[in-house]
Amino acid sequence: MKAINFAKRNIKELIRDPLSIIFAIILPLFLLVIFQQFKIPSDVYKIENFTPGIIIFSFSFITLFTATLVANDRNSSLLTRLFSSPMKPMDYIFGYTLAVLPIVILQSILFYTVALFFGLSFSVNIILSIIVAIPISILFIALGIIIGTITTAKASSGVGSIIVQLVAFTSGMYFSSDMIGKTFNSICKILPFSRVLDLVKGVLNSDYTNVISNVIISTTYIIMVTIIAIILFKNKMNSDNK
Amino acid sequence: MISIEIKELTKKYKNKIAVDNLNLELNQGELFSLLGVNGAGKSTTIKMLTCLVTPTNGDAILNNYSIIKNKNEVKNIVNVSPQETAIAPNLTVKENLEFIAGVYEIKNKKDKVSELLKEFKLNEVEKQKAKTLSGGWQRRLSIAMALINDPKILFLDEPTLGLDVIARKELWNIIESLKIKTTIILTTHYMEEAEILSDRIGIMAMGKLIDVGTSQELIKKAKARNFEDAFIKIVTGGDINESN
Repeated sequence: MKAINFAKRNIKELIRDPLSIIFAIILPLFLLVIFQQFKIPSDVYKIENFTPGIIIFSFSFITLFTATLVANDRNSSLLTRLFSSPMKPMDYIFGYTLAVLPIVILQSILFYTVALFFGLSFSVNIILSIIVAIPISILFIALGIIIGTITTAKASSGVGSIIVQLVAFTSGMYFSSDMIGKTFNSICKILPFSRVLDLVKGVLNSDYTNVISNVIISTTYIIMVTIIAIILFKNKMNSDNK
Repeated sequence: MISIEIKELTKKYKNKIAVDNLNLELNQGELFSLLGVNGAGKSTTIKMLTCLVTPTNGDAILNNYSIIKNKNEVKNIVNVSPQETAIAPNLTVKENLEFIAGVYEIKNKKDKVSELLKEFKLNEVEKQKAKTLSGGWQRRLSIAMALINDPKILFLDEPTLGLDVIARKELWNIIESLKIKTTIILTTHYMEEAEILSDRIGIMAMGKLIDVGTSQELIKKAKARNFEDAFIKIVTGGDINESN
């Protein structure tokens, strides 16, 4: 209940300061529309491949504004007040996550709706890929919590934008990592972003190549990053560690 | 009845002792002011008593609960109004109170919020976003939020810092009205505030509690003309001359 109460407050804070949310929706939407105008002769830009890319890219903005929300809370005395209350670390983590999930769902629905206008065939796979995208978004929310926990309010947006760039360059949404070289390709395979994109893309297109390795690596990342977020946040709850 | 029993409370950082072997007993319903120059150890003491910082040594028993062993119980019976105004800026005044009521899982949430809005005369601004309020109103809201769980012990960390004289006087009236039913520990840099509001005053310097008493007792003990001079004499050991 405390987590839901905290999530309600976070939703109100986000909605009433909507610039970051608008940015998280409008920019990926703009990219989706504009790249469909270019008619680039590459499989990556086909609507059934590019839309999942845009969804994962939009999640990187979730990292950005979750980081800002957490860092701003830390910066104000509100968290000092809450840390002296009976709220537990998990209440904060759930509270931040639950607040951002509706935006994640909204982004996915909106991008698929627009994609339908650009020729994406409607199928149950769209719904399935949205369902798969939800746990993936937790990875990005947890990354935001980590950044917001370890950086200042000013630095959080800068560090958060590194995730935006990493997703853009290593997920394979704009180009296949095989094109760049062996080292870069290896980095892309180590990072989770190409794996999560392949998962969403695979579900949408009923292409289950490498699905087991993608599921294992993505799940490991989601669990690992979430645990790190909880540990770091719990650590910060003690004023000794500010 | 003893409300707070502080026993050998100590906080050491790498090269510094922030609070050094603090021993103190506070009675239920007492308003106790902690005075001291910057870095004296007041805020660290409050942070330890509110379970925000773990003591290096010692303990404090708050209404029979230890800040070391019973953190959850302590957190349920205390509340704090931090030095900087601790409010959710984009929430309205009423929403801030409802939010904090949810944090403490207050059963009669609606009634409690209405009661605090009325008691703190916040009704007229209840639909206003907290960030648009003046400093005085924000501080008023911050203290109202600290009373949501009817705390047995309330910590007010420099509650009137930066407020104008009228806002300060209004807050004094509110704090006065809280005495008896709530044990209050207040930190302040304003001598007048401590003198007017407190039952007893503790003076800290370099992490140690160097004197405790009523304002009159401290004036007498320091052989000073007023409380401010007494404070200066006690803190400096008489090295700085009294005001003319």
